[in-house]
Amino acid sequence: MAVPNEHPLLAPARREAVAALLIWFLTTVYCVGYCCLYGYGRDPKTLTFVLGFPDWIFWGIVVPWGVCTVISGLFAFCFMKDADLEN
Amino acid sequence: MLLAVTAVPTPGYGVLAALLIFIAASVWLGTLAQKAMEKQDFMQGFFLGNRGLGAWTLALTATVQSGGTFMGFPSLVYSFGWIVAVWIGSYMVVPLTGFAVVGKRLAQLSRQTNAVTVPDLLRVRFDDSRVGLLASILIMLFLSFTMFAQFKAGATIMQHAWPGSGILALSEDYDTPVAKDATATGESIESANRTWKQALRELLPLSPKYYIGLIVFSITVVGYTLIGGFLASVWTDLFQSVMMVIGVMLLVCLAVPMAGGMEQASRAAIAATSADIAMGPGYSTAGREFLTPGLALSMFFVWVFAGFASPASMVRVMAAQNTEVMRKSIFLLSAYNCLIYIPLVMTCIAARSLLPDLGKRSDEVIPQLSLLVTRDFPYHTGEFVSGLILAAPFGAIMASVSCFVLVIASGLVEDIYAKLINPKATEAQLRRATTVSMVAVGLIAVLANLNPPQYLQALVVLSGSAGAATFIAPVIMACYWRRATATGALTGMLGGFLVYFAIYSCGWAQNWATAHRSAELAKTIIEFLGEDPMIGAAGLFRPYYILGVDPIIWGLLASIFGGIVGSLVSPPPAPELVKRFFDIRPASA
Repeated sequence: MAVPNEHPLLAPARREAVAALLIWFLTTVYCVGYCCLYGYGRDPKTLTFVLGFPDWIFWGIVVPWGVCTVISGLFAFCFMKDADLEN
Repeated sequence: MLLAVTAVPTPGYGVLAALLIFIAASVWLGTLAQKAMEKQDFMQGFFLGNRGLGAWTLALTATVQSGGTFMGFPSLVYSFGWIVAVWIGSYMVVPLTGFAVVGKRLAQLSRQTNAVTVPDLLRVRFDDSRVGLLASILIMLFLSFTMFAQFKAGATIMQHAWPGSGILALSEDYDTPVAKDATATGESIESANRTWKQALRELLPLSPKYYIGLIVFSITVVGYTLIGGFLASVWTDLFQSVMMVIGVMLLVCLAVPMAGGMEQASRAAIAATSADIAMGPGYSTAGREFLTPGLALSMFFVWVFAGFASPASMVRVMAAQNTEVMRKSIFLLSAYNCLIYIPLVMTCIAARSLLPDLGKRSDEVIPQLSLLVTRDFPYHTGEFVSGLILAAPFGAIMASVSCFVLVIASGLVEDIYAKLINPKATEAQLRRATTVSMVAVGLIAVLANLNPPQYLQALVVLSGSAGAATFIAPVIMACYWRRATATGALTGMLGGFLVYFAIYSCGWAQNWATAHRSAELAKTIIEFLGEDPMIGAAGLFRPYYILGVDPIIWGLLASIFGGIVGSLVSPPPAPELVKRFFDIRPASA
């Protein structure tokens, strides 16, 4: 709920903070979940390699890392707003 | 083709030359920084660089865990394998959370409060000197541990870079060799006939090269920080960050093909150890599970929250020029992390097949590998190139120490001297106080490292995570919650710190009890706390794992709980205070 007279920096800053924490949360759930499912307690004979990485590291860490880098770029240049810091 | 390597070149003059070039470059940057900062107010200029950090300096210095990147991290990959990619995985979101969660608001608050330090900001925001004092004491406590360890690391690197030293361990936990003459040999020395030499040996038990390194390192770092202040610190940090990425790119491009490609390197590592090196929870010969699912989850909290809630990081964000700089920094740091961490994991997995016999000397993996992959370079250029690669972590340590000296000195000058001892201090007095406090901090660090305790690295990890657990709730509350009170900030800080420290203490007690099973007290402790769960890295200072997760999670929860409850049970803050920091300011008359 918007507060009357609230400084214009606050609402976008809150929104960006929530969005960043949401991205962190989703990344954590995916990466830890995927790696635990496919990297732990698995028969080593089933291990395959993708571009030289163990498959579970590739899909659980390398790919999300690339995706996060793209998302960070979009976040920085398309989502995050500039504001006057009252210098 | 898999290369079996047995003979690795030893460091020559190239390594020492590279370190000396780094030192000279740092001093030069210090003088440049001095010229840049002397145009404006001393406190703002010296401790915050006049709030003028650009995108590159902010991105590559605010949340980069520089010192450990080339030291402990490669050792972990070499020892435990691919699982360490999960251990460091949360760095993929650190740039985003580091600047987007509190960055913009923190930078605004620091301007509204005219704060130079984090405690100063919290003190004015909550209008309570107790908040500032407690924050200042805790920050100085946390950073002192970290800083002392970095002094030891810097001195140790200089010692080992000496031509012909034969070893190149970069970790400060490396058992610094005792000088050959450090123990009494030949004629036995009667206890009643102690000579001054023996007394000196007891006082200074390590190799003379270590003490030369300690003195050179300390004078250099304190010197250039004293000359150039905050800007000298961040510019050196930027310099080493650039060197580090060049070093990593060189290493990965040379080491992976030499190992026969990434898949071949992994298969060779599996053949040399076991399939565990390519699986969770990681390879171990000691029966420990390095990264259980619970600890993997914990690491996604540790790096992220330590990234934006550690005092050293927050100071850098406070110094950002504007929000455009922060936005660009998010992307720059994301790209930088991409180029550093995954390639470093690849490099160290390749090292498993290229240097299969490092064993307990896994700390030497990067220096040994850099000497190995450059050994066929023409005209002995390989030695110098590897020297430059090795100089990057040395520069990283210098930059870290410089930052810590600055933050501790700013706490002593701004939060203690200017606020409590001499509130009407003139600029000349503040300059003098700054010089005295920085020299004193350097001297104390040197004295603490004359006979350095072991396990300082564990204390570094403890103090870094404790900083996050302590400040996360007060800082978020200060930024976004109108109802937050000084009581809430105090209970948030104390709650996070005490819970985190208590859980760590239980871990130490458990470790002690495990090592002294026959003692009655040890039996009682084991009965109460249980047996060592054999998870996480081994070490005397490992924590106690409640429900199998790192104490930072409990510390964060305690900080948040303490902050919310403390605020709600105390009277609301004064409306004028809330208005000042949350509402539009009326246009000045």
